[in-house]
Amino acid sequence: MRKFVCSVCGYVYDEAKGAPGAGIAPGTKWEELPADWKCPLCGAAKTEFREAGAPAEAPRIARVAEDPADMKELSALEMSALCSNLARGCEKQYKAEEAALFTELAQYFKAASAPAKEPDMASLLERIDRDLGEGFPAARAAAETAPRDRGALRALTWSEKVTRIQKSLLERWKTEGEAMLANTGVWVCTICGFLYIGSEPPALCPVCKVPGWKFEKVEGRAQ
Amino acid sequence: MSEVFAVRNIRLCTKDCLCLYVCPTGATDTENSVIDTDKCIGCGRCAAACPSGAISMAPKELPPQQAHSDAVTAAMDALLRSKTEQERTAAGLPGALAAAIERSCRIQAEDIVREAGYMLPQSGNARDFLRKLIDNPPSADFPKAAAEKLLERLPGNEPKQEKKPVKTWKCSVCGYLFEGESLPEDFACPICGAPASKFTEVASR
Repeated sequence: MRKFVCSVCGYVYDEAKGAPGAGIAPGTKWEELPADWKCPLCGAAKTEFREAGAPAEAPRIARVAEDPADMKELSALEMSALCSNLARGCEKQYKAEEAALFTELAQYFKAASAPAKEPDMASLLERIDRDLGEGFPAARAAAETAPRDRGALRALTWSEKVTRIQKSLLERWKTEGEAMLANTGVWVCTICGFLYIGSEPPALCPVCKVPGWKFEKVEGRAQ
Repeated sequence: MSEVFAVRNIRLCTKDCLCLYVCPTGATDTENSVIDTDKCIGCGRCAAACPSGAISMAPKELPPQQAHSDAVTAAMDALLRSKTEQERTAAGLPGALAAAIERSCRIQAEDIVREAGYMLPQSGNARDFLRKLIDNPPSADFPKAAAEKLLERLPGNEPKQEKKPVKTWKCSVCGYLFEGESLPEDFACPICGAPASKFTEVASR
């Protein structure tokens, strides 16, 4: 009997035990679980599980294909994220007025940023896949190089897991479309960005472990 | 002058109000739940007395941000670019899932840019960023007043870097970083005792 571990939240599927709460009988083999079976804790796709004890896959590290000249200048949207991050930094120091000023700058840059040309879900999924295959392994390798950059590794660990959940949800969307959100809600963890589908938020964030009240419900856009 | 001051996390406060009785200056006795920093002398009695752990002592002068290697910064910058591009794409798509991904990507981007070097609003690079925007506003409607107010209200916590660029040397034995205009020949690492010859200059940002 084998065990499989969710790469997002660490849930362990034990073939010997099954998942009786979710109607999976003890002794159910991994291969017998349906392809659309999801992690009962965080909702990650079956493909995000790794067999316990299996050797880690060697990451394919290719250099991220960004134009280095272009990277010198921050885009308007990057400046917006920089300002909203500093607004959070002010909040943590109980500086509400300064936080509001940085938020004002963040909103200016968001409004000034160019809209995406011909956006679609497929190109979003493609970019997310590229980050998981190249961007995160490359950043992790850089941060693991002595002296280990623990701050960067923490951010990378969370962000990579959140990116895996984004991938799982976009893959589901490919077959189910918006119907996957019928009669349920989508929640975002305001600390790490983890996404959760359900009528209520989880008790704890499966990625960064903050309590459920730090989740916010996301409503659809008014079109 | 004390180097710390008391802050109250109102979410944890259970209104036992022991802080009112132990504070020697009345700093905790305010109408708006915020401890009066002008009165607080940093003695820590309120934090020790609070039964719900709602008061903590915060440093007046924040320590400098964690340094990151150029390789880490470049890799984090590339991910920041990617996450903001995903935010841009998701922002152009209808539906609740796209709205959720847009939000999620922004939260990730904020965390990544934090670890790419922009952690403290008081840091030298955050202040440089604001100064550049004030000197060269990106458009006529840029809220310049907000940037100016921020520079004024958030004094830098890296006074050395704001005067003249300093160099950084790193101890090859323990990783201790020495900052200054030059490394004295008879310098010994305050952490591990290694001599100046064990130090190598690192590119400072």
